[in-house]
Amino acid sequence: MGLAHVRALTLALLIASVASAHEIGTTQVTARFNRDHTYEIDVVTLRHSNDFAQAAEIRFGGVRVNPEVVVLPNNTIRFRGDIPKNAGPFTWRWKLTYASYALTIGARQEWLDADATSTPFPLSADVLPPSRMDVVRQYLKLGFTHIVPGGLDHILFVLGIFLLSTKLRPVLTQVTAFTIAHSITLGLTIYGLVSVSPRIVEPMIALSIAYVAIENMTTSQLKPWRVAIVFAFGLLHGMGFAGVLKELGLPRSEFLTALVTFNVGVEFGQLAVIAAAFALVAWWARTKPWYRPRFVVPASAAIAATGIFWTVQRLM
Amino acid sequence: MKRIAAVVIAVAAQTAVAHAHDFWIEPSTFRPAVGQMVSASLRVGQEFEGDPIPRSAQFIDSFTVREGTKEKDVVGFENRDPAGYVRVEQPGLAVIGYRSKANPLQLDAAKFEEFLKHEGLERISAIRAQRHETAKPDRERFYRFAKSVLNAGMNGGANGGARFDQPFGYRFEIVPETNPCASTPLRVRLLFEGKPLAGALVTAMHRDDASARIRIRSDKSGRVTLNLPKNGVWMIKSVQMVPAPAGTDADWESMWASLTFER
Repeated sequence: MGLAHVRALTLALLIASVASAHEIGTTQVTARFNRDHTYEIDVVTLRHSNDFAQAAEIRFGGVRVNPEVVVLPNNTIRFRGDIPKNAGPFTWRWKLTYASYALTIGARQEWLDADATSTPFPLSADVLPPSRMDVVRQYLKLGFTHIVPGGLDHILFVLGIFLLSTKLRPVLTQVTAFTIAHSITLGLTIYGLVSVSPRIVEPMIALSIAYVAIENMTTSQLKPWRVAIVFAFGLLHGMGFAGVLKELGLPRSEFLTALVTFNVGVEFGQLAVIAAAFALVAWWARTKPWYRPRFVVPASAAIAATGIFWTVQRLM
Repeated sequence: MKRIAAVVIAVAAQTAVAHAHDFWIEPSTFRPAVGQMVSASLRVGQEFEGDPIPRSAQFIDSFTVREGTKEKDVVGFENRDPAGYVRVEQPGLAVIGYRSKANPLQLDAAKFEEFLKHEGLERISAIRAQRHETAKPDRERFYRFAKSVLNAGMNGGANGGARFDQPFGYRFEIVPETNPCASTPLRVRLLFEGKPLAGALVTAMHRDDASARIRIRSDKSGRVTLNLPKNGVWMIKSVQMVPAPAGTDADWESMWASLTFER
């Protein structure tokens, strides 16, 4: 910053601090910037207008935004909207007053005279919408950690899929069916097109774990219905993922990015479980004669027991 | 950085150009019954459209109501709108009067010149030009002198002996000489420091009809005669400006007088 700029800024601040005061009116303005990257500006005014939106000039870095206008009780008009990406400092101007009034932003209060514009208020980083890369990083990680280490039930289900056969192809077929299915319901549920209560979904997920494990004990063949059933269970798990994702929240500015990368993260988590299981056990043990009776069956039994326990627990 | 500096300056400049606006008293009714409680709201605005100004001891110098020969304080709650309450005790005209303390105001040079022209204060522009100060920002102190006439239970021309034509003794004041609620034409007189003020611009405006507006200069005796074209709520206003006394932080003193009434 050159000396000339310092001087310009200092001069500007001096001019801005000059008292130029009308009488104090009844107007009150409070601006809030939220962590969900929205702004809300409440104006308490006794004035009436058919076009409040026109009377409010809300700018970020000099760029005017178009707020939604809500008329609330107690003479309050609320302007709200999304904080733009890379938003510059916030400024406010209200053209429906001739008196002085206070603009409150958190702990800061500024007195504005009539239709004066407020001094620019820089937004803190936590209210600014994240960039697409931030969202990709964040939701990949959230999706992955929701499986490893967060989702023991999903891990057990994936292990159940894995334990069916020592061959790669049946595992890949099941994983693909499962992935397609949970992607579908994750998307549908997030967009609100499908809604099933967690009181149904969660016990069913537990039951699905028990089912695949029990079937593992009876056969090592990939039956056609098994793929169909894994697909059906995938639909259930997708709803479960959606519940979690809803709790985490999706940035409105990068909704689809977050949805897709969360799903991809979940996928990576599942593949990591399979890869680890394959590396730890199956790589050398799968050809051994004891692999199925001594490992697959007891492990499946343990998984089935856990699944049944969770089913009962989640039903209660 | 250059852009930010430019934005800051632009914004700051806007902050400094806030315009001075009219000030008037708007009672809840101009025609109360005797014994009725009337609220007196203070307003700042223009074109009769304004913001309510809550009562503030910081701004009020005196806030009184006159009925006949009696004058009493207008009561009210601090920081609340309406700023005051009046109970009319006898038939006739009652006059509410408000005098503010001094308030500082700053305007940039261009806005100030525009304002001087708008309020008919070209002689101040001329003084500034003579002193080569046309480009100098304005530093002024402003004062409000607002009055409002309530017509309690009277019809037509009678005024019940009310002394609406007696000045409150404000530094700048619009004094009706005929009954503002009834007389046609209406004659009012401008008094500045107790003496008639000649050549001042007087504006009369109708609350509900912006086209019914009269702009006229006071004559040598400080009088204007107004033929108000229609009934309804009216405001008569005038702005007087003089150099501020030496040794103060202002260059000018502005005085805003208004009179509201219904006819």
